[in-house]
Amino acid sequence: MLKFVFKKTMKTIKTGSIEKIVDTLKNGGLVIMPTETVYIAAVDATNHAAVQKLIKYKNRPFGKPFSVGVADLKMAQVLAKMNQTALNLYKNFYPGPVTIVCSGKHKVATGIESELGTLGIFVTDHKLTIDVIKALGKPITTTSANASYQKRPFKIKDLLDFLSIKQKGLIDLIVDAGEIPYREASTVIDTTIDDPAVLRQGEIRLKDKNEVLSRSEESTQNIGKELWQKFEKYFGQRALVFALEGPMGVGKTVFTKGLARAMGIKDEIVSPTYNLEEEYDNGKLHHFDAWRIENNEELNNLEFSKKITDKTVIAIEWADRVADEIRKYSEEAIIIWIKIEYARGENERIVSWGTL
Amino acid sequence: MKILAIDTSTDETAAAVTQGIKVLSNIIWSQASLHAKWGGVYPSLAKRVHLERIDWVVSKALSSAKCEADNINAIAVGTGPGLAVAIEVGLAKAKKISLLLNKPFIAINHVEGHLLSVLAKPKTSRQQRPKDIVGFPAIGLVASGGTTQLVLIMRVGTYEILAHTIDDALGEALDKAARMLGLGYPGGPILEIMAKEGDPKTYNLPIPMLGKENRSRFSYSGIKTAMYKLVQNEQPLTKEKIHNLAASFQDKTFQHVERLIRKVLETYKVKEFFLTGGVSANIELRKRIRKICNEREIILSIPYSKKLCTDNAAMIGIAANFKFQRGEIVTSTNLDLVDRVPRARVDKKFPWEK
Repeated sequence: MLKFVFKKTMKTIKTGSIEKIVDTLKNGGLVIMPTETVYIAAVDATNHAAVQKLIKYKNRPFGKPFSVGVADLKMAQVLAKMNQTALNLYKNFYPGPVTIVCSGKHKVATGIESELGTLGIFVTDHKLTIDVIKALGKPITTTSANASYQKRPFKIKDLLDFLSIKQKGLIDLIVDAGEIPYREASTVIDTTIDDPAVLRQGEIRLKDKNEVLSRSEESTQNIGKELWQKFEKYFGQRALVFALEGPMGVGKTVFTKGLARAMGIKDEIVSPTYNLEEEYDNGKLHHFDAWRIENNEELNNLEFSKKITDKTVIAIEWADRVADEIRKYSEEAIIIWIKIEYARGENERIVSWGTL
Repeated sequence: MKILAIDTSTDETAAAVTQGIKVLSNIIWSQASLHAKWGGVYPSLAKRVHLERIDWVVSKALSSAKCEADNINAIAVGTGPGLAVAIEVGLAKAKKISLLLNKPFIAINHVEGHLLSVLAKPKTSRQQRPKDIVGFPAIGLVASGGTTQLVLIMRVGTYEILAHTIDDALGEALDKAARMLGLGYPGGPILEIMAKEGDPKTYNLPIPMLGKENRSRFSYSGIKTAMYKLVQNEQPLTKEKIHNLAASFQDKTFQHVERLIRKVLETYKVKEFFLTGGVSANIELRKRIRKICNEREIILSIPYSKKLCTDNAAMIGIAANFKFQRGEIVTSTNLDLVDRVPRARVDKKFPWEK
């Protein structure tokens, strides 16, 4: 038997069964119910009116998405495109709690997915939650029951203390399971960055091709230096783009260190992954990292084209991810494509390069 | 003395109101806060264009602090290090508010913000000033996705960088390892959970810069490469392998941090150690550094909440409080000189401060 809070007084406790919850959700109601981490505000995620009610209840600014709970992997795959990373996470974290952000298939009501069409899937093994979803046959929202930026609710009292009368009025049913033991909020992980559609942009065709074997970090740096010497004569006349491609840890930043040293830059060249861009010697060298960039447009948010017209030197790692965008500048800039691959020996790399 | 602080130097759009060292509100707009309060999701660049959310975040910071804009005594903003186009948004907003309200403007180094985040107190705290036992000099570790550095803090406002990374930051290395294990990016917090189940002795990854601690450099590119090859060799990955790989990687990267900390503590006799930045939320790292501190009877200080570990604006407000006390403010006539400084160093003054 479950305990329900009587809505009129918010105090009296009645008992009932899971059908009561499912019925309320079916009728577009908003149910406050427990999970393993917090009390959640659940509505049928496919019911437009119910989701609107939830948005009002949560007092959310426009465009903030809600995660949804599913009964199993099958239901998750109906709602979202689960790529290999998402499946991995599901497998490794099951039974949760974790929230996996995937590309949504737009099967849920407006306001659930983010502006960019991503959907957060909450993976749980909480029995009541799973049972409710199964009985309903549809996903439910699993956002925590507090209004935005209020305390996370571990017991019903915590929650009610912070709600306005208007918000309380929107609640159709409260399931009281006493105090939920404190647990970290579920971890949220975005898997959309791993979508292969973003990764592959078609073959890169080079006019000429050169290949050398590097036997050490130092010799990779020297290749950077040699390439600079080869193209230095164009410096100041046209932009120079060193477009780097190669797997994780292969030495793309190492190459750039050599390039920068040959250019006379004294500062330490560090990985630009986090900041997306590092600028050296007042804009003499721009070091980009396209790894976290999701589409061509984003490169322009970094004022990429301006750097081309300013005739600067650009080293860009993971260039294959934005190959189309870089290609657009093949008239204005000299684009040197550099591919670094792991070779047989421990420290050996094959470095091949050519111009677009 | 209430300060409205803004920080947009990285992925998060953040605003806060602080009073002295008390945090009255600390609002961070990130994808993480949509689902959990803080998780570790970095919005993509499209979302990094903070423009569309800065207004909401600022007004939320004011309303959560139950504070009218008129009651603010100064405006502070993080001007670097960070991504130029991102810093720009917060900077422009802060300048505008400063001129509009005719209130002093304070420019803060983002790394200084992290270092001083340990001094922050919750709004319910009775303490008005930093606890008297804060003994300077102190040493601070800032370990995040964007930077990893050990800083000597002679006193608030006087810093010396003792060691910094020559390639990847610690948080970045952890995030990338998670990605190699198919756990998404950024997965530092997930890697931590996986590592708990694993045996760190299973795999023999190299400890970075072993025996070269004298050079005072962090380096994570070598172990990243070794990890990449190891993961390739271990395909297909099982749950057990993932646990062990995560544990091995985390263990070796942390050993590198420990060795460097021990090294600097041999040279510099300090009273306190500040552990800050996003990675300071990692329980295992805290445990290891606590052990080092205990051995030397050094007090370990950690920000009071996770929200203060990751990028936030409250830490900017805390740092600004001290800068204001020292009179290091920018007057409205000099406001035009203030610009974004993407590669700002915590031990150097901003160009307009000279």
